Amino acid sequence: MRGSPPRLWRLSMVGSEHIKMIPTPVKNIWSAEVNGTPVEVLVPSNAVLLDVLRDKVGTLGVKRGCDLGTCGCCTVMVDGTPRLSCLCLAGQVEGTAITTVEGLADGAHLAPIQTCFAEYGGSQCGFCTPGFLISAQALLNENDTPTDKEIACAIDGNLCRCTGYQQIIESIQGAAAIHRGEVDAAAPASDAHPDPHPDGPDEPKMPPGHAR
Amino acid sequence: MSGGYRQQPGGPGQTTRKDGKRVAGKQAFPPPGSGGSKPNMATRDLDFIPESVGGKESQPAGSHIHDRVRTGTSVGKETPLVDSNAKVTGQAWYGDDVRLPNEIIGKILRSPHHYARIKSIDTTRVEALPGVLAVATGADAPQRFGVLPVTKDEHAMAVDKVRHVGDLVACVAAIDEATALEALNLFDVEWEVLEPVFDPKKGLEDADEPIHWRGKYHLAKTNVQKRVFQEFGDRSLVENPHAESHGKWKMAGVHHGFTEPHAVVAHWDPNGRLQLYTPQQVPHYTHRALSTVLDIPMHQINVIRTFVGGGFGGKSDPFPHEMCAAILARKSGRPVRITFDREEVYWINRGRHPSHIEVKMTADEDARISGFDIDALIDGGGFASFGHVTSYYNGVLATAPYELGSFHYTGARVWTNKPASGAMRGHGAVNTRCAVEVGLDEMAETMQVDPIDLRLANLLPPHSRTISGFRITSNGMREALEKVRKGSNWDEKFRKMPLGKGIGIGCGFFISGSGLPIHWDPNRFPHATVHMQVDMDGGVTVHTGAADIGQGSTTAIAQVVSEVLALPLEMIHVRSHESDTSPVDLGSYSSRVTFMNANAAIRAALEIREQLLNAAWEILGYHPNNLIMNDRRIYYKHDPAIGVSYLKALHKAQEDKGALIASGAYRSPPMGGVHKGAAAGLAPAYSFSAYVAEVDVDVETGMIQCTKVWAAHDCGKALNPLAVKGQIIGSCHMGLGQVLSEKMVYGRTGHLQNANLLDYKIPSVHEMPHVEPIIVESCDPEGPFGAKEAGEGPLLPILPAVVNAVYDAIGIRLRTLPLTPDVVFKGIEKTLKASEFDDPTDLPSPTLEFSSMQPKLVARAQEHRIRDKARQRTEDTSPYVNGVLFGFDPTLPLEDQVEGWRTATEPDPEQLAELGLAGRAWLKKEQREMEGEN
Repeated sequence: MRGSPPRLWRLSMVGSEHIKMIPTPVKNIWSAEVNGTPVEVLVPSNAVLLDVLRDKVGTLGVKRGCDLGTCGCCTVMVDGTPRLSCLCLAGQVEGTAITTVEGLADGAHLAPIQTCFAEYGGSQCGFCTPGFLISAQALLNENDTPTDKEIACAIDGNLCRCTGYQQIIESIQGAAAIHRGEVDAAAPASDAHPDPHPDGPDEPKMPPGHAR
Repeated sequence: MSGGYRQQPGGPGQTTRKDGKRVAGKQAFPPPGSGGSKPNMATRDLDFIPESVGGKESQPAGSHIHDRVRTGTSVGKETPLVDSNAKVTGQAWYGDDVRLPNEIIGKILRSPHHYARIKSIDTTRVEALPGVLAVATGADAPQRFGVLPVTKDEHAMAVDKVRHVGDLVACVAAIDEATALEALNLFDVEWEVLEPVFDPKKGLEDADEPIHWRGKYHLAKTNVQKRVFQEFGDRSLVENPHAESHGKWKMAGVHHGFTEPHAVVAHWDPNGRLQLYTPQQVPHYTHRALSTVLDIPMHQINVIRTFVGGGFGGKSDPFPHEMCAAILARKSGRPVRITFDREEVYWINRGRHPSHIEVKMTADEDARISGFDIDALIDGGGFASFGHVTSYYNGVLATAPYELGSFHYTGARVWTNKPASGAMRGHGAVNTRCAVEVGLDEMAETMQVDPIDLRLANLLPPHSRTISGFRITSNGMREALEKVRKGSNWDEKFRKMPLGKGIGIGCGFFISGSGLPIHWDPNRFPHATVHMQVDMDGGVTVHTGAADIGQGSTTAIAQVVSEVLALPLEMIHVRSHESDTSPVDLGSYSSRVTFMNANAAIRAALEIREQLLNAAWEILGYHPNNLIMNDRRIYYKHDPAIGVSYLKALHKAQEDKGALIASGAYRSPPMGGVHKGAAAGLAPAYSFSAYVAEVDVDVETGMIQCTKVWAAHDCGKALNPLAVKGQIIGSCHMGLGQVLSEKMVYGRTGHLQNANLLDYKIPSVHEMPHVEPIIVESCDPEGPFGAKEAGEGPLLPILPAVVNAVYDAIGIRLRTLPLTPDVVFKGIEKTLKASEFDDPTDLPSPTLEFSSMQPKLVARAQEHRIRDKARQRTEDTSPYVNGVLFGFDPTLPLEDQVEGWRTATEPDPEQLAELGLAGRAWLKKEQREMEGEN
């Protein structure tokens, strides 16, 4: 072997004896209220909140973009405050109330912020959307008359590669208007809307002279 | 069932004759339809029905062949993406969200060396680790694959050699992630480290051990993967120029920066078929590559495209980790999931090529552009990827929108020991476009004319042919330029703002679908196919392979079907995830999806429409020509009360055969010249764009803030203006990143130093200016309802617009991208040293005094404006080829008229000495021509 290879953690340790790099951590019961439901799962003591939410709790709407707190895709609300779940040990938020994107809607009634992201084009590929929704909802909970500047400050920890943010800001302004009661929220898409004419209108009138 | 069918007509007496019969066409309210969420049939939305068929939608660019099937239902209306509710509720399933029962986790062992030969891999210790279920190395998959059939140079895992740090060496699957990571430490690999190459200039020279070996086609012993030479036109025109510009550019490599890291899940079902879940832009090529690498027929593989968390070209190659997952799943018999971390995303890369670009251009005494001379040396990294095409695109996509006297291009793509470059939004065209547009700005400066007028007086008209033989159909370049000039108040601002404030212009030109599919087959397979099925419930199921990567292709297809059949969008269900159920589609690249898939979808929908109208004919007795389809109802043109519901007509049409089935296909018309490489850059339509950007430059720190952008893009016809605006603003964001902050930094030792989103600086919301999207609709004759692309073209003009604006602000031409503060500051320091000033705030701001050329240009632009309008509306159908501006006859071959007019794809021996940097590749001979020499 020539030269010394750069030391990456992934590097195969040539010729050395196997030393276990990660000691097996103790597993404990972790409990919290996720989207209004009490959750108890067995997790290692060093578990990261993002992993617990995705792999144990099953809220796959929380996205993993970078693991380094740089993209904001994994933002969740912890007791009402947006927090990056990839930079947060599960143990730090034991017993708190956690809201993920799955918890924003009230049953079939989507939250205003959700309908507005669809309506104003705030979501294109949609991967960063859960994080933006949580950051925006946290802002709107505090302030339903935000300026564009205030919105920018609220979402500056979230990266979006598709939209260029402009339509996201418009979406949040649109949702703020609903929060203020100026605009009515949309009805759920799953509301009953029976087909009033299952077979169509009754027999159409035949044109004059048409014998059938 | 009669209540409410016949709504109150426009008023008593007006619509009824004395004998009690209705007056034809007098009904003010249409009768109700059936089905859907709205109880009554909506009125025809005349605002969205073109003038040519009696509606109110204005058509400044003329009528379109699809006008007759417009129903005013959804085309042209701002439509939220049909899958947006899945996205905002967190239910959209991306690669890593696919969780199959009994899954295990795969991890990849990556190379620590830039360039090394693998002497041996010992996996005994890995296999002995409890919890490890499968191990694979390069020996398990010796077959090569690659996205382009001509350059298959990748393996699932390294066979013999690794070619960059992070290259795949082996992979392992274990019961959980911790065990899999642990297992990576137990591989015993013996390396023979080789001498790496990092500088693309070095790649042009002979090496001891070229990174790949192409046998008799290998160029001497260099690392050149592809060289291109193209020369068109009369080169004598460039002698004795009136004005010229010469710039040498250095552009850093950039990455797509999509937020979703690559992820893949592979599962061999009990019947031995492979089910592969992957966020892919181009599932079909993955399908093909899997078949080759795993040595099983394609019908035994089902590629399932998950939701794609951003692609931008970065998820369009068949990837080695997809093969790894399949191999591990085959070995272990369990579903295997591999998810990348952000660092691995940068190692697989496929971002924009780091480039050295040299552009010389000249103009004659009439301010006509007599020549472009482009030389592009691009750094391909370790693999070919799309590079063969990129090498062409760097030159040929600069041949429009301007009329050129001559064009000369030399390009070379070299392998280096870095992660592979590939296709990224604006594939190949972005860097050269920036260099060309800045060159035009400089020539305008020399000639003392307005750069917008210089462009307006040199544009190719609609329905013309470029110097390299591209067929341009619709062309909204002029309108785009005029609109941004007006919108930005250009004439009041250009060269009139104080130091530190600047405004600049840039234009763009891009393909709308590539004319040749990558996998061209002898059987003339279509580029896109769409299957459609309407069963008795009335819902329309559309099967397409078009990969929605967030750009809204699913929505666009649903929209065109909804438009033709006059059904609400909620009744159209697009199924596009599985290769089992969807017809072959070439994928989301080259901005082809809307153009090709929507065209195919229209054809299928027309077939269904015909069947429905024939059924209505049978019921009503009126010929389909006299029937109108509107919201869930078909009625007689002159008396809306005479009609039949959509469902009734459908059920009639279904008699004796069940569900209505139709298939539509699209293939581009034959186009282009016969010279080598003539197919590169051919497209059935081209998009055009013009942007004006305003910047603030802090002359003391070199910090640039882009404050406002006016962005006009000619997308033919905006099927969904909401999505088009989103694409324009998003393109600005990505382009601003490249011009101001994004850069893949390779250190002195060749290491990628910023493989994370903190150091790789994507603009945040604070760096983003306000963008004013301006949609120009030129109504393309072959596009679906006139539409062209809007996904990639809008990225091109933002780079030159910003660079030109920076010149307007501080009077310094900078040719190193990105324009980070240190680059700008160095430029300012250098200028200060050469000037009499000490304080950068004393620097003079550039000014402009028009020369006598300006009024001539304005007059010519005005003349051309009238010409273009007539040609756009096809009142003037005379042939137009590049060269008419120089006085040539478009009906005769140019070679016959002009002495010295040439079309060459190889340099003459006497040219060899004067070729640029990339052109030096032509000094080398291919191995087959070197027999006995080495």
